[in-house]
Amino acid sequence: MSAAALATAPLERPRRSQFRMLLAQTRMNFVWYFWRDGEMIFWSLAIPVFFLVVFSFALGMGSAQRASAFLVPGLIAAQVFSSGFWGVGAMLATFREKKLLRRVYLTPLNPWTFFSALVLYRMTLLAMQATLLILAGALVFKVHVVGNPFAVLGILALGAATFVALGTVIGALVKTAESANNFASVLTVPLSFLSDAYIPINNFPAPVAHALRLLPSTQFVDAFRGIAIYGEPIWHYAGWMGALVLWMAGAIAVSARYFRWI
Amino acid sequence: MGTADAIVVDRLVKRYGDLTAVADISFSVRRGSIFGLLGRNGAGKTTTLESCIGLIAPTSGTVRVLGFDPADRRDLARLRPRMGVQLQATSLPEKATVGELLRLYGTYYGLRGNPASVASRVGLGDKLDRFAGKLSGGEQQRLALALALQHDPDVLFLDEPTSGMDVYGRHVLWREIGALRSSGKTMILTTHYIEEAEHLCDEICIVQTGKIVARDTPAALVARYGGDASIEFAARGFSVGAALAGLGRWAHDGDRYTLVARGEPGHALAKIVEYANALGVTIAALDLHRPSLEDAFLAITGERIEDPRSEAA
Repeated sequence: MSAAALATAPLERPRRSQFRMLLAQTRMNFVWYFWRDGEMIFWSLAIPVFFLVVFSFALGMGSAQRASAFLVPGLIAAQVFSSGFWGVGAMLATFREKKLLRRVYLTPLNPWTFFSALVLYRMTLLAMQATLLILAGALVFKVHVVGNPFAVLGILALGAATFVALGTVIGALVKTAESANNFASVLTVPLSFLSDAYIPINNFPAPVAHALRLLPSTQFVDAFRGIAIYGEPIWHYAGWMGALVLWMAGAIAVSARYFRWI
Repeated sequence: MGTADAIVVDRLVKRYGDLTAVADISFSVRRGSIFGLLGRNGAGKTTTLESCIGLIAPTSGTVRVLGFDPADRRDLARLRPRMGVQLQATSLPEKATVGELLRLYGTYYGLRGNPASVASRVGLGDKLDRFAGKLSGGEQQRLALALALQHDPDVLFLDEPTSGMDVYGRHVLWREIGALRSSGKTMILTTHYIEEAEHLCDEICIVQTGKIVARDTPAALVARYGGDASIEFAARGFSVGAALAGLGRWAHDGDRYTLVARGEPGHALAKIVEYANALGVTIAALDLHRPSLEDAFLAITGERIEDPRSEAA
């Protein structure tokens, strides 16, 4: 191309909109990290449903339906944990290691827009995962979400925000992508077993169960299950919700102090 | 420093603990010119470049790009839309296509165009649907250049733009950089390829251990530091007569003669040929060696730059 052609190349002077960037970035995140990644589709959609069906029969809580009523919110909660730890925390560490954060930092894209797009993509995926688990529970085991829809969405949003914040702590404190991924799995998997998500913590000795209730994961699982499946009013869990807000505030404080964009 | 300068770096210092990456560097870059930072790996080129784009906060000294201070958040925000950057070793998302990346980065700058034309400018016109992870190293760098220039920035920063590229990629990139210069862009690039600095840059700074050790046009650096041209030939029965003695420093080994010419070697060559003809001697295996930027680099720094082509990266 000649120099003259370059100089007159059709480039309208830009009207930059962070909102438009947010939508475009979120869409691309979804396509690149989910839609084109067969493993990701398998692990994030097929595996939780498979667990629901198998564990509902295997858990031995009297009936498969009772077990399923326990597991639907528990499995959704486990997806909340992994959205925060893997989906946001380990991803940020990976992006930083691959120098993608540096590259983006040099453009007019606001770092918050980039971060929000990552969260928004994971929340879209989380909504798909929750819908799939609720549908599977309803169709296979006749488990229904009876809670007030606003209360259910509210507690889910609070839990998701808390675990996204806790995830960013991994992104802030852990230096390499590899150890961030290790941290994410070390947190997600045991927490799912120790937080009343996969198995009832009442099966543990009472002091252990009490100790486990100090975990934000247990607090979230119990509140979410109580509100969504057992139809309890949201204020029953005001204490747990307050605790989640504190966890979130602490996590944000640590991330704000230590997170390095570049 | 006038408005004629797009970039002004004044007494820049960057220290990391005891390590001094940049020790007092100053230079300015005229608008519409290509400025090269040439030096070995670790000389401080990248640190200097990254101080100009807000990735590194200087320990002391100031930087101005288009009048903005990249170390200041607000200035940097105003500078970002007007600068384009190609960094070393950015890995783009593997499952992203060339077209998607160009379009997405376009939205960062408020562009709503078809990325096909910018892709073809860097020779990726037929690879819009190719995943970034499936591109060769050179193609990835050409994509990185396209991402740096599609929003028509006023100033471009290129960090080792052709490092590890094949011959075709380098050619495409050089051509594109030349075209950008013609359209009035200011560019600053780091390189450890002598050839690249000589071919592209209007002005070169040679950087050694965090300092500028020489700064001029490539031709002026060669003229000043490159040393004298030499003429070598074989001629049976030749001898250096009085008429030739003043041309420079002579040496011979059997029938092989070497003259390190004082001044313009063309003149000396004509004299030698004339003299040989008068003697009836035939000159064979003639070599004329003109000093190169590489000779100048060696003379200035006392060291050879690494052979770039031997690097795998």
